[in-house]
Amino acid sequence: MEKGYYFKRIIRSVISILLVITIVFVLVYSLVPRDRIFNSDDTLVKLGGKPDERLQYQMRTWQRLGYIDYENMSNYCASLYDAGSDAINACNVAGAKEEKDFVEKYEGQGYTIQYLPISHSPIASKDRPIALRVVEWFRSLIYFDTPGYVDKELFPDLERKIYFGKTPTGGLAIKCSGCEHKYLLYTDLSFPFIHQHILSLNLGQSYPTFDSLQVLNVISDSQGQENRTETVFEDGHTETSAYKLTACKWKNTLDKLDRNKFQDNYADCAIIKKDPSMMGISFIMGVIALILAYGLGLPIGLLMSKSKGGIADKLGMVYIIFIISVPSLAYIYFFKYLGSTFFHLPTAFPTYGVSDVRSWILPCISLALPSIASLMLWTRRYMVDQMNSDYVKFAKAKGLNQTEIYKKHIFRNAIIPIAQGIPSSLAGCITGAIITESVYSVGGMGKMLPDAINSYNNAMIIALAFLYTTISIIGVFLGDVIITWIDPRISLANKEEGR
Amino acid sequence: MAEKKIILSAKDIEVKFRVRDNYLNAIRGVSLDLYDGETFAIVGESGSGKSVFTKTFTGMLESNGQVTNGSVMYNGKDLTKLTTDKDWEGIRGAKIATIFQDPMTSLNPIRTIGSQITEVIVKHQKVSGEEAKKQAIDIMNRVGIIDAAKRFDEYPFQYSGGMRQRIVIAIALSCHPEILICDEPTTALDVTIQAQIIDLIKELQKEFKFTTVYITHDLGVVANVADRVGVMYGGQIVEIGNVEEIFYEPAHPYTWALLSSLPQLGVKGQDLSYIAGTPPSLYNVIKGDAFAPRNKYALKIDFEQEPPFFKITDTHYAKTWLLDPRAPKIEKPEAIRNLHEKIAAMTSKGGAYYVEQ
Repeated sequence: MEKGYYFKRIIRSVISILLVITIVFVLVYSLVPRDRIFNSDDTLVKLGGKPDERLQYQMRTWQRLGYIDYENMSNYCASLYDAGSDAINACNVAGAKEEKDFVEKYEGQGYTIQYLPISHSPIASKDRPIALRVVEWFRSLIYFDTPGYVDKELFPDLERKIYFGKTPTGGLAIKCSGCEHKYLLYTDLSFPFIHQHILSLNLGQSYPTFDSLQVLNVISDSQGQENRTETVFEDGHTETSAYKLTACKWKNTLDKLDRNKFQDNYADCAIIKKDPSMMGISFIMGVIALILAYGLGLPIGLLMSKSKGGIADKLGMVYIIFIISVPSLAYIYFFKYLGSTFFHLPTAFPTYGVSDVRSWILPCISLALPSIASLMLWTRRYMVDQMNSDYVKFAKAKGLNQTEIYKKHIFRNAIIPIAQGIPSSLAGCITGAIITESVYSVGGMGKMLPDAINSYNNAMIIALAFLYTTISIIGVFLGDVIITWIDPRISLANKEEGR
Repeated sequence: MAEKKIILSAKDIEVKFRVRDNYLNAIRGVSLDLYDGETFAIVGESGSGKSVFTKTFTGMLESNGQVTNGSVMYNGKDLTKLTTDKDWEGIRGAKIATIFQDPMTSLNPIRTIGSQITEVIVKHQKVSGEEAKKQAIDIMNRVGIIDAAKRFDEYPFQYSGGMRQRIVIAIALSCHPEILICDEPTTALDVTIQAQIIDLIKELQKEFKFTTVYITHDLGVVANVADRVGVMYGGQIVEIGNVEEIFYEPAHPYTWALLSSLPQLGVKGQDLSYIAGTPPSLYNVIKGDAFAPRNKYALKIDFEQEPPFFKITDTHYAKTWLLDPRAPKIEKPEAIRNLHEKIAAMTSKGGAYYVEQ
């Protein structure tokens, strides 16, 4: 029965994600005017004096981002005649006789025909329906790397196989010839020790900010300066390089530099940078703050409940009310001031950078402050609730002493609702904290969503919506699983089981 | 009765609760001797101080309450002087056990039945877990849990209300207490289960020979189980006596009113009898007899001076000026005359309160 429940729950989760993404798609791609995406595009500004190129650039961009299907004369001519022939040259001249066929063909297919302002050459475009785009987005979401990746026409002789081998650093690996990645699965000494490139998430291309990068790479690749180290290449030569050799991808054309370094076409390597990714920074910061919050909030809340009405309780309440009533920006700046004046801590994250502990102290504290307060409040409240329960009175009548009652009867019962929230808070860490990150100029995830919205980076908005939704659904689910471990009354199976 | 051994003796108990800046005089000078092996019932309406009084026997008063006068002597110790958990060790739960009204909430919902029984046994008898489990299963069998060994590891939500009350009783009796305080043990249970639980306590009492204090407002239960009865009103015992004396020769007007209010004594077609008015506010100092304002037999002196206990028989005392030789002779209300026959009818075979002996 339990399996049935999990299955249903997963189906429900998938449907929720689907719904959220569809709604965001509709919002972003139909309600936001599509011209806005060019607001911060420099290329378009440069093309200001060339109306034809400008319009074609816009069309191509919309096509690339999936807004429209787009056709122009040069593609049409290329499909009719051989490259380099006289016929194709004649076809490409404005006013050519093929233009009539072009217009007829695409009008028949439901395209809208426009004429370029100066050359009056026709172009055809057709909106892609949102539903279709949603379906395509999900279809291309998960991507499997296979030996059929490399173009068969360009590289007919390439041996296509998956085989066991070793990484340049000596780890075990499953390698591939013909896949996009050379190393499908490999081990090394960095967390989580086993890495894979078999399956990857395709969340779309970023535009106009972080142009033409994969959205996932924007948020999950390391940042900052290149981390150049002595690297042993596959052919045995050593060079100072920032290449991550286990993350090299296939490249169709190699230049001279590539040929010096690589024996094969897997030369498009990721660059290792010194700082963690946006997601990484936010997550590390979030987890530290979370540990602080639970490490302090829980015991203090407990202490408050034990001395209910006493000094400790009142002091705790003062803190809680301070955090609740003062706007977060105000106390963040207050603690920033305290930290910088009395402890000489840096007020901006980049001052000392990621590797310096001092950089982390103030942002982590400012992130933990509200969580500590709410954990104190809830722990105290749940504890007091339990203390007044009948079974605690009965436990006292049974002759148990205060310590035993706390240990055996109050704490575990009070902790149930708190434990349920842990996975969600943990998962929530990667979404970053917008206020703290902007106050301390931390390069984390917090600013990504507002930035994406401001710059009309629609692919990014959708990708983030997808990530956040998925993460919170997983968080809530794990929370429910956790309470089934500690609370015997709750079973995720079916309801009839309880007597 | 008089030659019986006194096991617990409360003298002039006064309990006050601090509520905001006021003091609530919950118990106003109550004395009581409990005899070994007897069943004593305390009856009275809500707020009369029944529970609060017995809580002084186990130090279970809420944190804002305190015993301001009097003593509770048990085994040569004054229980009102005990304050810490350590002082109470070996008494609360071990020698004086309590079972509460609501079995649905008396057990911790997320711990197994077994662990909740064994923790008391381990605590008071200092035996190993293994031995405690054996004893726990044994006591579970005694209180009528079928398949006790199997149900040892189940959780309270897997038990019905009656079963849970059996477990609560099992926990209370697991250390063979000398006194068992039953604070309205059957109020939250449905009628068919009530009789079973009362019966069970009676049976176990015979077996374990403990003294029982019942707190109840169910006079049917009292008639069925009690040897002696104390009637409480406004934080005082107003009448105390053997069960026969209280039911058939009640002397206090409040006892009369209480007995007249028994719905079982109602006559078909007539309104049920009830006690008009509300109990006195215990925040104020009460002048005279606390029941006087609601008492249709009240004398002038009832409003001025608190009545003393008048002795009716060796075992029967009542706190009412009506027993003063100077008082006018008053007939008991009609409803409670011939109560003997009426009660006998109820508790004999076929009656509502009949319990298989």
